[in-house]
Amino acid sequence: MLRFLGLRLARAALTIGLVVTFAFVVLRLSGDPALMIMSPEAPAEAIAAFRHAWGLDQPIWAQYLRYFGAILHGELGQSMRDGRPAIQLVAERIPATLAITLPALLVKVGLGIPAGIHAALHRDSLTDRIVMAGAVAGFTVPSFVLGLLLVLLFAVQLGWLPSGGQESWRSAILPVITLGLGGAGILARFTRSAMLEVLGQPYIRTASAKGVPWRAVVRGHALPNAAIPTVTVVGFMVGSLIAGAVVVESVFSWPGVGRLLVVAVANRDLAVVQCILLLVAATMVLSNLIVDLLYGVLDPRLRSQAAAGAH
Amino acid sequence: MSATTLATVPPLPRRHARVPTLVAVAMAWIVAMLAVALLAETIRPYGITALDLRARLTPPVGFGGTARHLLGTDELGRDVLSRLIVSIRISLLIAFGATVIAATVGTTLGFLAAHFRGWVEQLVLMLIDFQASMPFLILALSVLAFFGNSLPLFVALMGLYGWERHARIARGLAIAANAQGYAAAVRQLGASPLRIYLRHVLPNIASTLIVSATLSFPEVVLLESGLSFLGLGVQPPMTSLGNMVGYGREYLTRAPWILLAPSAAIVLTTLSVSLLGDWLRDRLDPTLT
Repeated sequence: MLRFLGLRLARAALTIGLVVTFAFVVLRLSGDPALMIMSPEAPAEAIAAFRHAWGLDQPIWAQYLRYFGAILHGELGQSMRDGRPAIQLVAERIPATLAITLPALLVKVGLGIPAGIHAALHRDSLTDRIVMAGAVAGFTVPSFVLGLLLVLLFAVQLGWLPSGGQESWRSAILPVITLGLGGAGILARFTRSAMLEVLGQPYIRTASAKGVPWRAVVRGHALPNAAIPTVTVVGFMVGSLIAGAVVVESVFSWPGVGRLLVVAVANRDLAVVQCILLLVAATMVLSNLIVDLLYGVLDPRLRSQAAAGAH
Repeated sequence: MSATTLATVPPLPRRHARVPTLVAVAMAWIVAMLAVALLAETIRPYGITALDLRARLTPPVGFGGTARHLLGTDELGRDVLSRLIVSIRISLLIAFGATVIAATVGTTLGFLAAHFRGWVEQLVLMLIDFQASMPFLILALSVLAFFGNSLPLFVALMGLYGWERHARIARGLAIAANAQGYAAAVRQLGASPLRIYLRHVLPNIASTLIVSATLSFPEVVLLESGLSFLGLGVQPPMTSLGNMVGYGREYLTRAPWILLAPSAAIVLTTLSVSLLGDWLRDRLDPTLT
């Protein structure tokens, strides 16, 4: 078990290291930030001072080490636009993002998983068809189209709900529905196919054949085995709590991390973009780690496999 | 043994296999979209930047508009139908180019991993893990933030989408193929690895790779339109479906048709390609996810 944990932790650290390296490479390949931020007519001394202040006048490997060291110390630089620490700017936006992504996650799990299970247990029934149609829509209707259609219907035509901004809790309803419906469709489809696969296994037939009531077969044999692929998808959704709402936040002018990211990208505010990139990487890695550990709990075989060193 | 061999050979398609109605409709829509994309420059009624200042924000035909502008016009009097036609061409072109790039890159890396094993394979697997564990949109946004935006860069960036899925499939299938008689036989005859992979392994696993590419095509369309919607993808004066939706959003209350036409095009196209992909998968390789 310790070895299993150690391997997973090492992999998590490696992924974070890769993201930091990716951010650094992309940052430095992209050209001279001094010339992007300052106007071309700026005096040479001002540009030199800017380069010195940001460490851009040092050799590339020294910049890399410095960069890595700074990140390990939690120094993520200042916003090149307004001079405040990037991490502070990002942290201020996290509550607003979570205010829509957490309820949306509840909608996804609360709607998607039961719908998927129900559809699998009643294959080819009317509910199955409705669930599958919804799932396909979840894959093919982009969130900005769904969001704008909801705005058109509930804000413009009916006037029930605000179309954007963050005045009251009612402003959060449309973003949450937009995020939740799309994700619920995806989750329902995964749960359904995982359940169908499990229901076709010989041990299900054995359990039914020896007289176990169908309800107990589903609860005791089918659900636990179908949980693994479902947990993977839910884990990915938990990991994208922070950054999964980039498009939806833009549609509804919701002042969260995603909106900040889009504005920072458009303004080329490097420090803010990399801060969000690292934050997303950290949440993704953390949720992957939790999912990996959950696998170990759900399926003892994976635990012993990892301990034996086999992939 | 016979069971595993049988499982990897897809059943021969029956000559008069019935195509479900829904899939047939989807195919018809895809063909129509391809025709629009190919003939865009000839069938568009107006130029995409041509202004008709006396007919600004005209609604579509049937909603108070005239036959001069079938789908209405926008704030500057530009013809929505013409812009839609050109947008379909550009969005499909980008998605097609990106899917081909991703399939090529992914298959090559998958074959390299299957051929060399050892550290090459570990490196490829590590990259796959990295790519799969990060939301692609965030990586794409970071690259765009730092490199700025140009069309070749944008297509190349979209071309990285989904490579890891192709790589994973290609690696698994190539390893399985290497263990089979035909690959060993050609190897014994002295064929070079390049020849074995391109002339013998690739044709044998192509159907699965094509299905996987068909399944990722709509996702690329969604990604491109999402980025263009945010104003970070295709830049004006060029136009794409997402770009049109982003522009039309400003006129949501006064002129919803600007936004509804490209939205419908996106949804119907991704839906059709998904339906086709699912159907192909069920017929050729049901094990694919």
